[in-house]
Amino acid sequence: MAQEADLHTRGWLSRWFGPRLWVVLALAVAVGYPLDILVNSALPGVTYRTVGLALAGLSAFNLFELWPRVLPKSLTRWVLQVVAVGLAMPITNFLFWSLDNPAGAPPFWHDNDRLGSFGVLTALALLFAPWMALAVLVRQKDALARHQALSFDLERSELERKALDARLHLLQAQVAPHFLFNTLANVKALVAIGSPRAPIVLDSLISYLRATVPTLNDSESTLDQEIHLVQAYLELMHMRMPDRLDFALMIDETARELRCPPLTLLTLVENAVKHGIDPSEEGGRIDIQVRRQDGRCLIRVADTGVGLRQTTGGLGTGLSTLRQRLLLAFDGDAHLRLTEPESHGLWAEIDFPAEAVLAP
Amino acid sequence: MKMRPSALIADDEPLLRTALASLLAELWPDLDVVAQARNGREALDYFERFHPEICFLDVHMPGLSGIDAARQIGRRAHLVFVTAFDQYAVQAFSQGVLDYLVKPVEAKRLAETISRLKERLHLAQPATNTEALLQQLASQLLQRASAAPAPLQWIRAQSGQTVRLIPVDAIDYFRSDAKYTVVAWRGDDGQPAEAVIRTALKELIAQLDPVHFVQIHRSYAVNLRSVSHVRRGEAETANIHFKRRCEVLPVSRSYLNLFRQM
Repeated sequence: MAQEADLHTRGWLSRWFGPRLWVVLALAVAVGYPLDILVNSALPGVTYRTVGLALAGLSAFNLFELWPRVLPKSLTRWVLQVVAVGLAMPITNFLFWSLDNPAGAPPFWHDNDRLGSFGVLTALALLFAPWMALAVLVRQKDALARHQALSFDLERSELERKALDARLHLLQAQVAPHFLFNTLANVKALVAIGSPRAPIVLDSLISYLRATVPTLNDSESTLDQEIHLVQAYLELMHMRMPDRLDFALMIDETARELRCPPLTLLTLVENAVKHGIDPSEEGGRIDIQVRRQDGRCLIRVADTGVGLRQTTGGLGTGLSTLRQRLLLAFDGDAHLRLTEPESHGLWAEIDFPAEAVLAP
Repeated sequence: MKMRPSALIADDEPLLRTALASLLAELWPDLDVVAQARNGREALDYFERFHPEICFLDVHMPGLSGIDAARQIGRRAHLVFVTAFDQYAVQAFSQGVLDYLVKPVEAKRLAETISRLKERLHLAQPATNTEALLQQLASQLLQRASAAPAPLQWIRAQSGQTVRLIPVDAIDYFRSDAKYTVVAWRGDDGQPAEAVIRTALKELIAQLDPVHFVQIHRSYAVNLRSVSHVRRGEAETANIHFKRRCEVLPVSRSYLNLFRQM
């Protein structure tokens, strides 16, 4: 099936006038011309006959390559093509010899000489043509196999990329249990005292979960979605540590529509909370800035937490995973920069091309 | 007349402190919650000040953790640990004689804990000796935090007043320079850059992923992903060429076997 579809798309022009034609013509000349020289002038123009035969064979081959579109089950196309090429030989020869008949002479089959030459050339043609047809078919099959192997390779690398993506995604979603139960404990506390904040906090939790629970359709997301997610996350964290966490978002509104790999911003902010603010008794502040400049999207998450000096292990894996994800998503045209400012804390900056989300 | 029993609550999340306090007030009206601490250090301060008989300690707190605080309180109080979902901690707690609560705290579970505590207070039992267990727990948790220390992902390099973090896969090679190590890497623009760090090459190598970083010389370690080819010279020598750098580094004889043909 795939083979047929492929052949259909290749276009009839190239099939009739493509390399096949030239190969067949060259062979016809190569066989016909020496015969012309060898055989005496009684048989003028063997070359033009071989060329004619070649063209007829090629036409038969090409015709039955596509026609009829649907074959009866008992008939395979390659057999049909080879048989057609075979039949084309005597028919064409018959036409040649009939047209060549000198005026007034009896039909060539009454003339032993001409019948002989007809027989020789027909036999020769029958010896050559079907084999050539078979050779073309074999080559085609090889090419198809190669093509399939190639597309299989492509598919596999795409699959590998997807698997990697999924694994990275899971790695990131793994923070959930501790965070989830702690947050639920807080929500429960709010509900117990009948706080009007409870439903709002639950909403934040729901948006957070919706975005972080691995989903099937997660390859594209906009910065706007990321910003909402981060807002939900920060509101939850602020509920949990109101005395220790301050945050502010400065968002360039024109950047909201931009493409942003899922959980990019969240990873930076979670990292700032987990490794910067949470280990500190005094806590700190997180400033998130999103800008769009010169065709690029610039994001900065700056925290005033403990910085890297005091963190032991753990750090880096999330961020270097994010870095790899960004490189994958933007074909290497993305940067993640980490700096520790003079005061304390950590600045995580990323920039990537400002692209619109592809239409689904 | 016997005094009312007293307790201390330590948790870094205020809502959870008040929630536990009000649940306790409901289930154990006699209990006097004398202080609420926001971290391990505060918990110790309050403990020294009020000497409560019972301490509810959140395991995860900034600065001094619940386990650290518990080790310093020792047998001077009955300890109850409070933890969110944490498989390892819960496993460790349930194996020992330690009392623990899992967040969100359920009233029924808290009631059980309360009756156990009441019994101990009634019998005037001294608090269980938990030191060995706590030490084990602390080291277990610590181990997990740094379990199989993952290979270094970022190199911290001072440049002026700021510290820059260089992703290890952007590094081409390290060059040992007396006490310092020079990091040769490619910046965001792909251009070669250098940074100096204080860590000695030997120390650094130990922390890097051995699959990608190999030492090729007393003073050099290279990132194999950046190497374009190795050219053999005469008499057991070889040079390393990079994909995106023009420097050529020597391979010492003792490291030559790294680049034998397959």
